[in-house]
Amino acid sequence: MIERLAASRCPECGLVAAPAARWCPRHPIEMARTSVPGAGEVLSFTTLHSPPEGFRSPLHIALVELAGGARFICHGAETVGLRIGSWVAIEAVGNVYYFSHLGTLDRVRLFWSRAGHAGERMSAIARSLAKRAWKGRIRAER
Amino acid sequence: MHDVWVAGADMTRIGRLSEPLADLMAVAAHAALRAADRERPDAIVVATMNPEEFVGDGNFASNVATHMGFADVPVLRVETATSSGAAALYAGFAQVASGLAHTVVVVGGEKMTHLPTPKVSELIGRSIDPYERSYGTTMPAFAALVTRALMSRHGVGEREIAQVAVKNHANGARNPLAHFRSEVTMDVVLESRMVADPLRLYHCCPISDGAAAVVLTSDRTTVRVAGIGQGTDALALRHRESLTSFRATQAAAAAAFGMAGFGPERVDVAEIHDAFAPFELISLEDIGLFPPGKAGSATLDGETALDGRLPINPSGGLKARGHPLAATGLAQIVECVWQLNGSVPRRQVSCSVALAQSIGGPGTNNWVTLLEAR
Repeated sequence: MIERLAASRCPECGLVAAPAARWCPRHPIEMARTSVPGAGEVLSFTTLHSPPEGFRSPLHIALVELAGGARFICHGAETVGLRIGSWVAIEAVGNVYYFSHLGTLDRVRLFWSRAGHAGERMSAIARSLAKRAWKGRIRAER
Repeated sequence: MHDVWVAGADMTRIGRLSEPLADLMAVAAHAALRAADRERPDAIVVATMNPEEFVGDGNFASNVATHMGFADVPVLRVETATSSGAAALYAGFAQVASGLAHTVVVVGGEKMTHLPTPKVSELIGRSIDPYERSYGTTMPAFAALVTRALMSRHGVGEREIAQVAVKNHANGARNPLAHFRSEVTMDVVLESRMVADPLRLYHCCPISDGAAAVVLTSDRTTVRVAGIGQGTDALALRHRESLTSFRATQAAAAAAFGMAGFGPERVDVAEIHDAFAPFELISLEDIGLFPPGKAGSATLDGETALDGRLPINPSGGLKARGHPLAATGLAQIVECVWQLNGSVPRRQVSCSVALAQSIGGPGTNNWVTLLEAR
C-alpha cells in the first residue's frame, strides 16, 4: 500500500512542502495542511561513503518528486538499479522515510486514486505499466 | 555613495597550520595593513563561520581585534556560512561607501584541520536544512545530488568535471601559498576513491586552515571595487526551482554587474567557488561567463586554463589553494587584487577586470564581487 505523507500547501503559489512547514519558503504566508501520496519519481540520488557523525557507511540518499508535487529527501536500502526518473514508493520505518522500488499493484492503486475519469484512469494505468516494463528492462540488467 | 578602493591585500599560507586562529587572522590583517601602508583602520570586519565549534571561542570579533592590538577599534563579525568572507567584504564596502568609515580592514579565517573529518563534515553540514541534515545530507551529499542531475539531465561528462580539478591543481602548483602544490592527471582524478557517488575525492576541496585580509578605503588606489552583489535561495534543496543551477549566484551576478555598469564580457579573470569541481562549471554559466551548456567543453578545450581565453581560478581555487571557509571569500579577493596589480610570479594573467564568486552553505547566500584596475 502507498502511504500518505503529511505535507503543507502554499495558498499563494501552490508549493507543496513535505514534511509540512509552517510558512511557505517563497511567501510569508502560513501554509495549509494537506497530505500527498508516498510515491514519486527520483530526481537525483547518491551513496555517501564518508557519512557525518551518527550515520553508517554506505548511506543511500534520494531526492524524490512526490506525485502530489512536493520534493522529498529520504533514505534507501540500496541504489542498485536506480536511475533518475525511476518511480519509487516511500514508507516510514520508525520515524525515518525510506524509498523502495514501486510494485505494479502500487502503481495501479496510485494512478487509480489520482485519475478522475474512467478514461484517464485506464490510460494512466497503461502508461504506468508501459513505464514499468521499460524500467524492468533496466532493472533486469542488475 | 563614495567609490571604494582596495589599499592592500594579503593572506597566510593555506593548509594544515599550527598557529591559533586569532594568530592567523592577526597575521593576515597586519600584512594587509602593511601592504596598504596604513597603521590603523577606522573599523574592522571579522569573518569566521563557526569558531564556537571549530576552536571553542566565541565573541570572535573582539577576540581578533584585541589579539591584533586594536582593542579600541570598532569591530563586528559577519557570517553567511561558507561565503562569510565575501559577506564581510560587503559589510566593509558598505561602511566605506556610506562614509561611515574611511579605512576598514576586513579579515576572514578558519581553523579546522585539528578535528577528525566526520566531525568537520558534520559541523559544515549544519548549514544545511535541518530536515535534510537529519538524513545525513552533508555538503558532499548535496553536491553529489546536484552533480548526478547535472550529468543525467544536461549531459555534462565526467572528463569535463575532472578537468576542473586537473586545471586547478596545475594552477595551485604555481602558488606557494596553496594547500596542494602538486599537479594531478585526469586518471588520478577519475580513479580516486568515491566520496559521494558520483563525486570522487579529487572532485572535492580539502579541509584547510588559513586567513586572508583586505584593506578598503575611500582614497583612490590602483584597484576599485566596481560592483558587489548578493543572491539568496531557500535553505532546503527540495524547495529549489532548479537542481542544476544556483539562483543565488545568478541574482548575485545580476546585482554586481548592475552596480558596475558593465557585463560579463568585460571580465578577464575569475576566482570561482569550486568547493566541488562541478560547481565551477555551474557557476561559470550562472554568472554568464559561458553560455548554458558550454562551460564543460570550454574547460576541456583549455579556455579556462592560465593561458586560455578566460583564466579561471589562477590561485588554484578552493580545490588546490584550499578552503578555510570564512577565509576563502577574501583569499579570492586577494588573488584578484594581486592579479590586477600585476604582481603575481609564475601565474600572472593579463587583466583589468577580475571577478570573485563565493557560495554560502548549499548555495543559499552567494556573492559576486567585481574589481577593476584603474
